Amino acid sequence: MTLAVLPTVPDLSVRSASSRLAEEFPELSPRSIVLVVRTCREELRGSPTDALPELVERLARQRLRVSLP
Amino acid sequence: MGYVDVTGVRHTLPDGRVLLDDVNFRIGEGARAALVGENGAGKTTLLRIIAGDLIPEAGSVARTGGLGVMRQFIGSVRDDTNVQRFLVDLSPPAVREAWEAMEAAELALMETDDERGQMTYAHALSHWGDVGGYEAEVTWDTVTVAALGMPYDNCKYRELSTLSGGEQKRLALEALLRGPDEVLLLDEPDNYLDVPGKRWLEERLLDTRKTVLFVSHDRELLARVADRVVTVEGGSAWVHGGGFVSYHEARTARHERLAELRRRWDEEHQRLVDLVRTLQQQAANSPDMANRYHAMQTRLAKFEAAGPPPDRPPEQKVAMRLRGGRTGVRAVIAEQLELTGLMKPFDVEVWYGDRVGVLGANGAGKSHFLRLLAGQHVPHTGDWRLGARVVPGFFAQTHAHPEWQERTPVDLLWHGEPGRPGVDRGRAMAALRRYGIADQGEQQFRTLSGGQQARFQILLLELSGATLLLLDEPTDNLDVLSAESLEEALGAFDGTVLAVTHDRWFARSFDRFLVFGADGQVYESAEPVFDETRVLRAR
Repeated sequence: MTLAVLPTVPDLSVRSASSRLAEEFPELSPRSIVLVVRTCREELRGSPTDALPELVERLARQRLRVSLP
Repeated sequence: MGYVDVTGVRHTLPDGRVLLDDVNFRIGEGARAALVGENGAGKTTLLRIIAGDLIPEAGSVARTGGLGVMRQFIGSVRDDTNVQRFLVDLSPPAVREAWEAMEAAELALMETDDERGQMTYAHALSHWGDVGGYEAEVTWDTVTVAALGMPYDNCKYRELSTLSGGEQKRLALEALLRGPDEVLLLDEPDNYLDVPGKRWLEERLLDTRKTVLFVSHDRELLARVADRVVTVEGGSAWVHGGGFVSYHEARTARHERLAELRRRWDEEHQRLVDLVRTLQQQAANSPDMANRYHAMQTRLAKFEAAGPPPDRPPEQKVAMRLRGGRTGVRAVIAEQLELTGLMKPFDVEVWYGDRVGVLGANGAGKSHFLRLLAGQHVPHTGDWRLGARVVPGFFAQTHAHPEWQERTPVDLLWHGEPGRPGVDRGRAMAALRRYGIADQGEQQFRTLSGGQQARFQILLLELSGATLLLLDEPTDNLDVLSAESLEEALGAFDGTVLAVTHDRWFARSFDRFLVFGADGQVYESAEPVFDETRVLRAR
């Protein structure tokens, strides 16, 4: 099985998740959104590649939502 | 490659009877072994022990290579199981567990979408990948395309009960044959399959390199596929290393050998007993003989402790006496007969003594034709009549007698029916004994096994004095030995026989065939025809 690529090489799924989340949370800086997405991506390393974009985006959205006051 | 090694297995029924004792056999790599035996001899129990559902009281079962099991009920699934669940259940335990975990995580996530749920789901997904779940899904896709002609995604939520018995069996077989398990246990894989389906099954089993242990009553399938035969009888099991063709000879030889061993043991036992008696008398007179007397006593005790060799298994005593009687030369005449909406008009003449196989597709009207001849009401046009002194006797598929379900065989025999005088209890029990169902004489009809119900119906035919037998799938539920006994009885029957059958082995004993074609044509054939396709009719 292909393992997820290391987060140092950002892939398309992370980039599209970041841009979608940036639109959803205009009050947060794009920089912090990318950071959260990358952390999620790192934590979900080992998940099947096909499922990764969805898993990363869901987890990142959850964390961003919780971080808002 | 995988094998199964059964050593010294023993199983006792809840009532204390020993069902199986000292069962030893090995199914080597790539073998295709058939498991045969009478109904109730312990075949299914033995399969359950091998599958690990039952823990044997003594002995052990060793196996390698992963085990795939097809249970008997497949083909008659009527609950809300869907195709996906069904395929998961047939998968190796690791895949099954990973799937359960993934399902649980998905459900939890639907209810509460929090970080913990998401992480659990992510773990479940990666575990699913690790155990080969994605590969399994690819296999399932091939399986559904092969068995149902559609991709997995289109049918995974389809309920199994919407598939026919044959489709359910094919789905299970494709899944097991293409799956990773190296050892397959198949409990009656051919039930619910029509003849082309059975031929397909034979080819698939001959092709596979897996180790297969299967239970079947279809003698054609046994003869073509099995390269060894495991017989469960007399509370133990033995293996015939050749195919089914030489099986009968081997079984008779084995029984004779067992009887011979037992006879020798009895003789030796008697000799020792006599010797002990003589020495006892001599010891009374001469103290010198006392030592020899004690030594001989010890020897006899040891001989008895070692026990006799296993008894020759009791022969299944099914003695069917279908007598019949001389009738007019022409037994059945039909002119331009058409069962309404089922077929095109046809003519047929059946002569006294003929053995006619009625073959053809499902739904072509074969059973209706037999019922019409039996005197039941079936809408038709055209003419038909029975010859002089022809008395029809009808054998229906076992579920066709709702009015019998709550009654017992003895009761049914005692009361009789129009055309069949009742018999007293003594005669009823004697007749039941001859058919091997005396013990079930007081049981309700519905609690009898399929084979017992079938035998009981043949007994009724015997008592009714029929001279024209109309048999609808008579061998369907009979074990191999009962089916042979029926064939023998039909061979000796003085009269005419018309039988609907899908049993290729049974069909060989007929001399004419009436084929009900899928296109509505009814034609005669000298050879059995089994590949008429299913009748398609607007519903």
